[in-house]
Amino acid sequence: MSHPLLEKDLLSTCVHCGFCLEVCPTYRLTGDENNSPRGRLRLWREEAAGRLARDPETDFYTSECVGCLACEPVCPAGVAYGDILEQTRHEHVSAGRFHPKPELRLAAQAVRYPALFNAALAPARALRSLGFFPHPLIFPGRPHVTESTAAYARRLMMLHKPTGPRVALLTGCLMEAMFREINFATVRVLIDNNIQVVIPDEQGCCGAFHEHTGLDGVDELREQNRRAFLPLAVDAAVSNSAGCGLALKKTLAPDMPVRDVLEFLGEIGIKAREPRGGRVYVDLPCHLVHGQRSPGIPAAVLDATGYQWELAPCAKDCCGSGGIYNIQKPKNAREILAKKSAFLNEAEGDPIILATSNHVCMMQWNSAKSLVKRPFRVAHVIQLLDPNCRPSK
Amino acid sequence: MTPPINAVVAALHRAAPGSRVMMSPAQMAGYESDGLGYKSFRPDLVVIPSDADELAQVVRVLHDARVPICLRGAGTSLSGGPVAAQGGAIVHTSKLRAIREISLDGFWCEVESGVNLRQLDEALQPSGLCYPPDPSSGPVCTIGGNVASNAGGAHCFRYGVTSNYVLGLEVVLLDGSTHRFGGPAGGNGPWLEDWKRLMIGSEGTLGAFTRFWLRLTPRPEKVWTFRATYPDLQSTERAIHGLVRHPAFPVAIELMDPRAVALVETSSMAVGLPKGHFLIVTEIDGPAALVDLRVESVAEVLRSAGSADVLFSDKAEDRENLFKARKAMGGLLGQVSPDFLVQDAVIPKRALANLLQLIYDEADRAGVPAVTVMHAGDGNLHPNFLFDSRIPEEVKKVEGISKRLMQRVVEVGGALSGEHGIGNDKSAYMPMVFGPESMHLQLAIPQIFNPRHQFNPMKVFTERRFVA
Repeated sequence: MSHPLLEKDLLSTCVHCGFCLEVCPTYRLTGDENNSPRGRLRLWREEAAGRLARDPETDFYTSECVGCLACEPVCPAGVAYGDILEQTRHEHVSAGRFHPKPELRLAAQAVRYPALFNAALAPARALRSLGFFPHPLIFPGRPHVTESTAAYARRLMMLHKPTGPRVALLTGCLMEAMFREINFATVRVLIDNNIQVVIPDEQGCCGAFHEHTGLDGVDELREQNRRAFLPLAVDAAVSNSAGCGLALKKTLAPDMPVRDVLEFLGEIGIKAREPRGGRVYVDLPCHLVHGQRSPGIPAAVLDATGYQWELAPCAKDCCGSGGIYNIQKPKNAREILAKKSAFLNEAEGDPIILATSNHVCMMQWNSAKSLVKRPFRVAHVIQLLDPNCRPSK
Repeated sequence: MTPPINAVVAALHRAAPGSRVMMSPAQMAGYESDGLGYKSFRPDLVVIPSDADELAQVVRVLHDARVPICLRGAGTSLSGGPVAAQGGAIVHTSKLRAIREISLDGFWCEVESGVNLRQLDEALQPSGLCYPPDPSSGPVCTIGGNVASNAGGAHCFRYGVTSNYVLGLEVVLLDGSTHRFGGPAGGNGPWLEDWKRLMIGSEGTLGAFTRFWLRLTPRPEKVWTFRATYPDLQSTERAIHGLVRHPAFPVAIELMDPRAVALVETSSMAVGLPKGHFLIVTEIDGPAALVDLRVESVAEVLRSAGSADVLFSDKAEDRENLFKARKAMGGLLGQVSPDFLVQDAVIPKRALANLLQLIYDEADRAGVPAVTVMHAGDGNLHPNFLFDSRIPEEVKKVEGISKRLMQRVVEVGGALSGEHGIGNDKSAYMPMVFGPESMHLQLAIPQIFNPRHQFNPMKVFTERRFVA
């Protein structure tokens, strides 16, 4: 029997033009063509066709991919690289050719039980809310320890009774369990802009975590979210994390539109905040601009923050986070980040805020504090739009 | 006798400790082919030198070990140039990517061979200068590959090709010694040996390029883009002849045949072009006051040739839309077909009808889809034949058509390649163009620099086989 990827003709779509090389972070890092999309596709195709024996180097180059998907929009032949990578990763993990780190395996199991995961991370939320950030990837913030985003949204909806468009918010697994303050800010901004917020109770992890690691569980999680979202009478499902948004898009398409929350706010028009001091440098998540093919965070939304802002240099290039890449391949991730964050040493403005729209990118950027020689703060753009006076209080 | 490969690897590690040496079968796979993806040649080893000095050491070791040496930039070439046609080593210049100097008063820059065109363009932008050659692989392809194949591009009709911009080169010869050919001082000073033209377009057969000095020009102040369609070839040719004679001297004249137009129009990239029509896209650029004055007369040339839908604009977004159908072509070929073979003939413009008819007849007879685009200003014809390389009969058919097409090109007084190079794709056609005496003279040159054809064997001339 021939290989499933060959049967679907997926691997033969690459015409080997090389347009993916210069946008690929691992090719730029190593200068090795095998460590590029075109190289990896060639390795997978040769092996699937039986012209190349199973080789530890193939496993290595597969594991090296950040999964940033920067190769997809520049590919003239429209190779579905992300899908092929996901299938290959899963195959490699199932066959024991690649071993995700034990902590990632544990987390992949845990996020399948949101209540348990949230309870397990309550001490971490408590520590964060007290101002302890014990790991370079944990950025500062003050999440609510006990109240869930769902409960908070219900409370605010009762209080303010918005009448505008109705959206279902994906609260996510890590976002809800660890960085809940971003979900709270999202709810506040949406309701402050007269948008009705629904939080589906039965929602689960979007599955991006399992896609990145190649572990089992993606299909079940997608099915769970289809059950949770599709029956709702809403204008769109929204996500405040570009990576989760992409996974949810794949899950709900074409039955329900999925929008990045900032894009959605840009379309309906948004209340502007008062002008504020400081300078915001905006970095665009790969899974927003490459994965979801979005033009970026709308300028009107960034203007509405009240900050003077500009795009970070090479804003569409990967920061090295890659979902869990900075845990799987810390050395590569660090090198990518070191190059990308160097501009902050000379950047104008004080204070400086590095803003993006994906919590895993925020984690990666937070770890740049030991690389950059001056202080800066990491924020989600939605937090910059957050009303100064919380409508809940 | 060639030493065992492990001994070669050990010698490379000793001589160039900062460089990467790879030899596992999987590591060779990524280097098997260039943009001519269906022809594969597996190298025995791949070396990524850390810098130019180590590259010279790598060449010396490989020379002493009697291993064929093939230099490779981004591997985007479409002629099978940077591949290990006779096995041996690929030397990949991906780490030689420093832009060493931009001389604002001298209008030149000094770059390493692995610098890519977009990287250079971004570096030049603040200065208001530019490097004009623009092959469509510009976002990726390296200056080294461009110089090796004397690359062109859509805008080379007026601006000229790579050779018009190379002031000098630094080349590592087979014994590992480094030489300079020409330079920004035009052959004076330290660059006494101004033989640079010998090196440009030599396709890796003479030496390994490590550094270039390139001439720069001011960025054009303003650009107007025009698009027009024509119901038949006669009116299309009238438009091309009108444009090449126009005092505005268009920078580019791009042509798509009706089959290419149909491919775009039946895809998601459709722009609303009339089916069965030829498409012409042209541009003029220069000082704003001057080009603004010429817009209407260029439009009139296009209209009077027989187009009823001439569109033009100087706005970046609109211009992009006018060029969209032409720019989408390359990608669409990849989307509709597992493989495509693009030819690169240069023909006298009067022979266009003759060649197009041959392409249509051959393609229809063989049942092979063919779409043709052309840099019409300079007669550089790119017929694309779509096929599936997994089916041997299709490969045979396409290669047969290619050969008969080249025969006709030669008959009408054309040339084998305008900008892609000969590589191993067209080397068998060389005797169709050149007689025995000319071939003898041309082969004598690599024999001086590279007597046993150790550098890039089996390229340009089929006779160039390396014998250890």
